[in-house]
Amino acid sequence: MTVKFGIGNKRLRESTLIWFLLFPSLAVFLLYRILPLAWNGVLSLQFWSMYKPPRFAGLYHYKELFLYDDVFRQSLWNTLLFMVGSPIGIALGLMIALLVNRPIFGRNIYRTIIFMSFPVMTVATGVIWLWLFSEKTGLINYFLMYIGLIDHSQPFLEDFNLALPSIVLVSIWQVVGLYMIIILTGLQNIPPSIYQAAKIDGANSWQQFWLITFPLLRPSIFLCLIIGIINSFNAFDLVYVMTGGGPGHATELLITYIYKTAFTLARFDYAAAITVINFSLFLALTWLVNRMSGGNAGAVETN
Amino acid sequence: MPFRASAAFTVIAALISTLLALSGCSNESEPVQNKIVVLTFNMPHYKDGFSRWVAEFHKLHPDIEVEQIDRKGSNWGAFYHTQVISGTAPDIIDTQGGAWLQYASQGGLLDLTPFLEKDAEFTANFYPELLQSWIYEGQNYGIPLYFTKTLLFYNKLMFQEAGITSPPNSFDQLMEYAYKMTKGEKSGFMTLNFDWLYWPLFAMNGIDLVTPDLRHAAFNTPKAIALIERLAKATKDGAISNISWTGRWVEPNSMFAAGQIGMLQAHSTALLWMLSNTSWINENTIGFAQMPGNWSTPNAHALHISADSKYPQAAWDFIKIATSGEGAYSLGISLNNLTGDRFVNEKILDYFSQTKPIVVPLLRTQQEHLNTLVGNWPLANDAEIKEALYPELQSALLNHKSAADALSRAEKKVNHILSRDDRTAQSQSSVSGGQ
Repeated sequence: MTVKFGIGNKRLRESTLIWFLLFPSLAVFLLYRILPLAWNGVLSLQFWSMYKPPRFAGLYHYKELFLYDDVFRQSLWNTLLFMVGSPIGIALGLMIALLVNRPIFGRNIYRTIIFMSFPVMTVATGVIWLWLFSEKTGLINYFLMYIGLIDHSQPFLEDFNLALPSIVLVSIWQVVGLYMIIILTGLQNIPPSIYQAAKIDGANSWQQFWLITFPLLRPSIFLCLIIGIINSFNAFDLVYVMTGGGPGHATELLITYIYKTAFTLARFDYAAAITVINFSLFLALTWLVNRMSGGNAGAVETN
Repeated sequence: MPFRASAAFTVIAALISTLLALSGCSNESEPVQNKIVVLTFNMPHYKDGFSRWVAEFHKLHPDIEVEQIDRKGSNWGAFYHTQVISGTAPDIIDTQGGAWLQYASQGGLLDLTPFLEKDAEFTANFYPELLQSWIYEGQNYGIPLYFTKTLLFYNKLMFQEAGITSPPNSFDQLMEYAYKMTKGEKSGFMTLNFDWLYWPLFAMNGIDLVTPDLRHAAFNTPKAIALIERLAKATKDGAISNISWTGRWVEPNSMFAAGQIGMLQAHSTALLWMLSNTSWINENTIGFAQMPGNWSTPNAHALHISADSKYPQAAWDFIKIATSGEGAYSLGISLNNLTGDRFVNEKILDYFSQTKPIVVPLLRTQQEHLNTLVGNWPLANDAEIKEALYPELQSALLNHKSAADALSRAEKKVNHILSRDDRTAQSQSSVSGGQ
């Protein structure tokens, strides 16, 4: 009995210690994440002006969002389209990782070059690609005309059909280096003995990839997917710098629409309602992806 | 024992880190002082001039400090909104365009009518049409600081090449000339599009934005559909550069300055921008005129006082210093702009006739036809209406959707905003009334 009490007491001490250690981070998280999020939810149910007392609005803003606001619907659609870029980027990252994982000459240099796009500030990336896509002076138009793929320059970022794919392309370019590094780490964690055993069993390269590499890379790939989802919800700076959401609202994402609604139009209550939708969608997708990965996306096996 | 020691150490470390983490949340206590805060709009180069305003102000209010906060146009709104929300609205704000309407309609700005009536001599110095631009529901909320309005710039060399001898005096002629000058990479016409700058094209075709009672959209008419179809076709044919509908300030002006555009509708200040960016522009190569029908969109700045300013009289005195006499004069010559004060403007024009004669005729055009300004409707949700209408127009002008469809969608959105204004205003007034 005494022993049990002693163990319980020790556990209590350890648990107290853990909570003490966690407390600073949790306090910051509560203050800067949870409380604003809760306040945002409350705000979305109010008529709220900068200068007047708030008044309960019920679901007024949500009704307006779903019944009247086609820009919201387009932003939502664009955000989902933006997300479609993630699997493409991950596939590209996987291919590059497989290539630079092989014992080829100068592979460390290739890895560095490919990763270099990731740490570049997004605003700088946006400005650089803005010039590259320019209709009159852009290198991309010059190159495409030079190789005969187009006969006159294209207004990539001013065209309703080309603007969003162009930005998605830039986003993939920026993040593919990170995908590569994550997948490369996953690749290097696969014990070579598994491949040796597979070879002995007569598995060809394709079978080795599908039956060994790909399943064992699942946590890394799902981590990349989550990063891709976060990226599509956070791609504010890229869109803001390159198109500002235009032409029309062809490149408007939920995040840019939230910003415009809140800070350009000063409709903070309405922006809060969009944020609630944005957050719910984000949460649902992240949960779904995590479930698909077996609930341990990005986890590190310790035993 | 070792566990206790390490636990104690950890607990202390955790407490210290908690305090450090939370220290960002506490407000540093500041000594209480009498101060007015002035939020200016993109005037980083006017520090010395501002100091002179403050020096003048201190002659009247030696006990009140003045703090200037300057923000670029792109983040002015976000900054101001967060200041208001956090309960620290600047005492004086400098606004551009129609942003002030939202603030005034929601009770964020002080009604300056009593001050203007009291200072009749000061008030008389201003152009009545400009003062009128800052009236919302019968009350004046702003004092003009400086202003520009749109003009038609034309490339004399391209005019000559196309056999055109004088600027257009009708919309048909504008289009005809645009086509005449279009060749290869060169387009005949271009306009700036933000802040209603494209509306003179609509106004000269007899199209109104809203009904006279400001309650319904009035632009969805056969005339407007025909106009948009015509503009869209000209854009497709290259007679109007498509940058007209996608660019902001730098891109259109740069193209005109590169000699690629026959006519450009832009603010008068575009000329100064182009002069500083290229060497071929002079009186012989560039001309300017009023748009057909003398329609133009103002880009006016005004100073306002926040409704909850602790020092409204001091703020008013500061505004008087900045918008009249020497204060306005030094601002005008610094910005190459006219002010709201008619008499100060004469001095500014004298100054430029000595120092920069090329801008004098340009600035004189700014004083003319102030009765045909457009884009300054007293609509509480001007910004929202702009956001609802322009992307639809843009889609049609860039041939992405039909003019009829675009106008119909825009009409629905604008009417929804206008009707919502009524509803939210009613709900807000019932709240205020109940208090």
